[in-house]
Amino acid sequence: MIAFTDIVGMDLAKQALMLLAVDPSLGGVVIPSAVGSGKSTLARAFSGILPEGTPFVELPLNVTEDRLIGGVDLEATLASGVRVVQHGVLSKAHGGVLYVDSLSLLDSSAVSHIMDAMSRGEVLVEREGLSEVHPANFMLVGTYDPSDGEVRMGLLDRIGIIVPFTAQNDFRARKKIVNTVLGKRDAEDTQDELNMLKGLIQAAREQLPHVSITSEQVQALIQTALSLGVEGNRSDIFTVRAALASAALAQRSDVEEEDMKLAIKIVLIPRATRMPEREAEEMPPQEEPPPPEEPEAEDEEAPADTPDSDAESDEEQKDTPDMIEELMMDAIETELPDNILNISLASKKKAKSGSRGEALNNRRGRFVRAQPGEMRSGKVALIPTLISAAPWQETRRRDKKMAGRPKTALIISKDDVKIKRFRDKSGTLFIFMVDASGSMALNRMRQAKGAVSSLLQNAYVHRDQVSLISFRGKQAQVLLPPSQSVDRAKRELDVLPTGGGTPLASALYLGWETAKQARTKGISQIMFVLITDGRGNIGLQAAFDPDAVKPSKEDLEKEIEALSGSICADGIAAIVVDTQMNYLSRGEAPKLAQKLGGRYFYLPNAKAEQIVEAALSF
Amino acid sequence: MTQTETAAKKRTAAKAKAGSDEPAIQEPKKAAKPAGKKKSGLAFPFTAIVGQEEMKLSLILNIIDPRIGGVLVMGHRGTGKSTTVRALAEVLPFIDRVKDDIYNRTPDQYLEGEDARKGRKAIDPESIRTEKIPVPVVDLPLGATEDRVCGTIDIEQALTSGVKAFEPGLLAQANRGFLYIDEVNLLDDHLVDVLLDVAASGKNVVEREGISIRHPARFVLVGSGNPEEGELRPQLLDRFGLHARIITILDVAKRVDIVKRRREFDEDPDAFMKKYNREQLKLQKKIQQAKDLLPQVTMDDSVLTDIARLCMNLGIDGHRGELTITRTAHAHAAFMGDKEVTMRHVRDVAGLCLRHRLRKDPLETLDAGEKIEREIAKVLGEAEAV
Repeated sequence: MIAFTDIVGMDLAKQALMLLAVDPSLGGVVIPSAVGSGKSTLARAFSGILPEGTPFVELPLNVTEDRLIGGVDLEATLASGVRVVQHGVLSKAHGGVLYVDSLSLLDSSAVSHIMDAMSRGEVLVEREGLSEVHPANFMLVGTYDPSDGEVRMGLLDRIGIIVPFTAQNDFRARKKIVNTVLGKRDAEDTQDELNMLKGLIQAAREQLPHVSITSEQVQALIQTALSLGVEGNRSDIFTVRAALASAALAQRSDVEEEDMKLAIKIVLIPRATRMPEREAEEMPPQEEPPPPEEPEAEDEEAPADTPDSDAESDEEQKDTPDMIEELMMDAIETELPDNILNISLASKKKAKSGSRGEALNNRRGRFVRAQPGEMRSGKVALIPTLISAAPWQETRRRDKKMAGRPKTALIISKDDVKIKRFRDKSGTLFIFMVDASGSMALNRMRQAKGAVSSLLQNAYVHRDQVSLISFRGKQAQVLLPPSQSVDRAKRELDVLPTGGGTPLASALYLGWETAKQARTKGISQIMFVLITDGRGNIGLQAAFDPDAVKPSKEDLEKEIEALSGSICADGIAAIVVDTQMNYLSRGEAPKLAQKLGGRYFYLPNAKAEQIVEAALSF
Repeated sequence: MTQTETAAKKRTAAKAKAGSDEPAIQEPKKAAKPAGKKKSGLAFPFTAIVGQEEMKLSLILNIIDPRIGGVLVMGHRGTGKSTTVRALAEVLPFIDRVKDDIYNRTPDQYLEGEDARKGRKAIDPESIRTEKIPVPVVDLPLGATEDRVCGTIDIEQALTSGVKAFEPGLLAQANRGFLYIDEVNLLDDHLVDVLLDVAASGKNVVEREGISIRHPARFVLVGSGNPEEGELRPQLLDRFGLHARIITILDVAKRVDIVKRRREFDEDPDAFMKKYNREQLKLQKKIQQAKDLLPQVTMDDSVLTDIARLCMNLGIDGHRGELTITRTAHAHAAFMGDKEVTMRHVRDVAGLCLRHRLRKDPLETLDAGEKIEREIAKVLGEAEAV
């Protein structure tokens, strides 16, 4: 294993992990980084700088609910006849590190359990006749590839540090350096360095209670959180803790500007929902901040200057020393533009390399209840089987046929056998792709918005989800990631820009990617609802290379055909809703439907309800 | 209701099926806590929570009158939703229950329940001993299985002694107390079904593994969640008496205060608890006084008329809206030490009672709270003033 000290670069991530080692109450560190970059190396090396004996538990993505939370240890229970409890992964990580690779691919029920454990510091086990509380106070270290999808905000909110995604994180290139360096170094040096680092962290832990932070400093941090539109109060606490830990690492007893800068960089900025400009402090806080998921998309359009700045914030400014504010702004400005560029870079790289191999199909569902069944027809639910057999043991023992059996043996008859029934919780994901180009766009968008809202109103019944992709100009854009929330849909679809070219291929590609991500999260049924006249005129390349030569009509058609074929082969259903007036149509939309193996609906002046009806009828 | 009927049918069927060698059903005598379950660490004191008055008030009103029907707390992440609910336990009053009763029953309920079971001698009411316990707060985690929620056969007893004993679930523990579900909008459908059934009937009926048990399960349902994570099933939404909304505090001074108190608590929980002890006791006493005052609180018919008009103008279906406002306003008046409910009390709680009962219009831009406030102003004839 490569030691923590041998890893070159990744300075910010390393710093973040060291702060966590100093103050585990920071909750954890999330490191977004490109796939295959060896990001897990760093996370695993982290255990090397923690005190001896600190648990380090890696969470497999396909973990089942009972392994995660804990439950009955079947073998031991059978052997002893007394219920024996087996602790889950969450409680095994107690006092140490829970490491999750590909955090964004973890299924949503597992995420919920982790969130719950993190907010309680313990796991409540109320399963299969068990009622226990297991301590589960752990640091969560998670790595993920942003192009695999987003991590649920609720979980990120409980994790103190999010390392901003920068080119630095992609240390594929640095691996080489690591290797060459390793060749020259001897193990003793490494060990010495590691020991030194451990000593440093230990000293910092002891220093931590003696570090103080002034009220002005706390206020400045909170002010920054406000102007960045960070949701909730947890981040305030994390920022303060990070600043204190940073000062402790430097063996200081006071928090200084550099500590605050670091705290802002790794706690607040990654959660920003808007970017303040120089005058940003004068901005009154927004009631409903825009979503934090897509800072790269929001930034250019974020209403940076709201005219009604008021006297109240001027007052607040007086309270905060100017110098600190300057520093805050520096931290923000030097950090931000880079990240934004790099986030979009990640998806570019991804898009060019094409498909990432087949989507995982882990339709495991959720163990709901046990039902009588054949031993071989499914997973045997042992406890319910035992429960049903237990009361009859004495009666059966008295039975002559069983006379030869040892007294302690359990007599289980065929009727006792219960098998586990799983339920695939997820319903259908409807991915709306709305043509926002041209003059009819406004109308189409309104209809799509209505259809999305209306589908979501009823989504709870089937656990359906809805996503919306709009395409216009050079490339398509996910306006609403798969969601069940009416509130969120309403908010995110509030402003819908229209006009420009028709990047149909880009929309199909993005839809396909969204579908694949959803599949890895256990949503199996996916339906595309395309609201378009089917006349794409912008190629895929345009999204990544503004100077790309405009492809010929034939090329465009080939692109669409190839994409449609793959989408169809992945078992994604599709309907194409054509809202164009008849006399304008040149028959592209029916062709598109055919290529996708879907159905074509001609609904000029369609009402939202008609679109919903069409989508549900399929 | 239909679900209750189905359950009842199943029960009869189960009885018919039961053969002659059916092992005896025995109930555990003690409400012993299962092994391994221990009280978790100190909770942040309720009175030290900064802001979020709406949520705090709705919880308190539910303690004063549990018939209000619980509260749903929805809002932003990291705003202290679960901290507040978990802090509640410390300010709750005490209740009397039959000693060691696993269902927390009152002597009357106990008599009713035990007499109903055939083949038993009538119990002498004099022989029942009671004890005082704090109002229970039971946490229902998302990963709970149905058998732990409803209760099931005690497998250890069954295996070792062949006796079918009932091991009560969380619903039994929550009787006459609070049942709290964090991330309630993510709760599995089959558990939601169970909850709806029990909440409607106030009884938990267990028909499984050859056990047939019926016990009272009346609790104040408290749910919390973030609306961005998903929607709540409408039937469940409707079950909640109150709906408190919670948003990120934007006041810097308050946020500084939150951070300070949190740090203080983390550094020395015991000292922090001590610091707030007086306020905690004061609140607990105030709640108890309100509970005692509640039966004496009256409301003029004119206020009731105004409430009805308000609900009508807002287009609220059914009568649960009026009923909830009336009860909640009574509790609120009692909490303020008033013996007479006025429109001022109604105004304070109308948003809480009605927010989730308004028809959902996807294109509505006006906030539900504002809409309710506007209608109240109209009902009070203040429309011009607003």
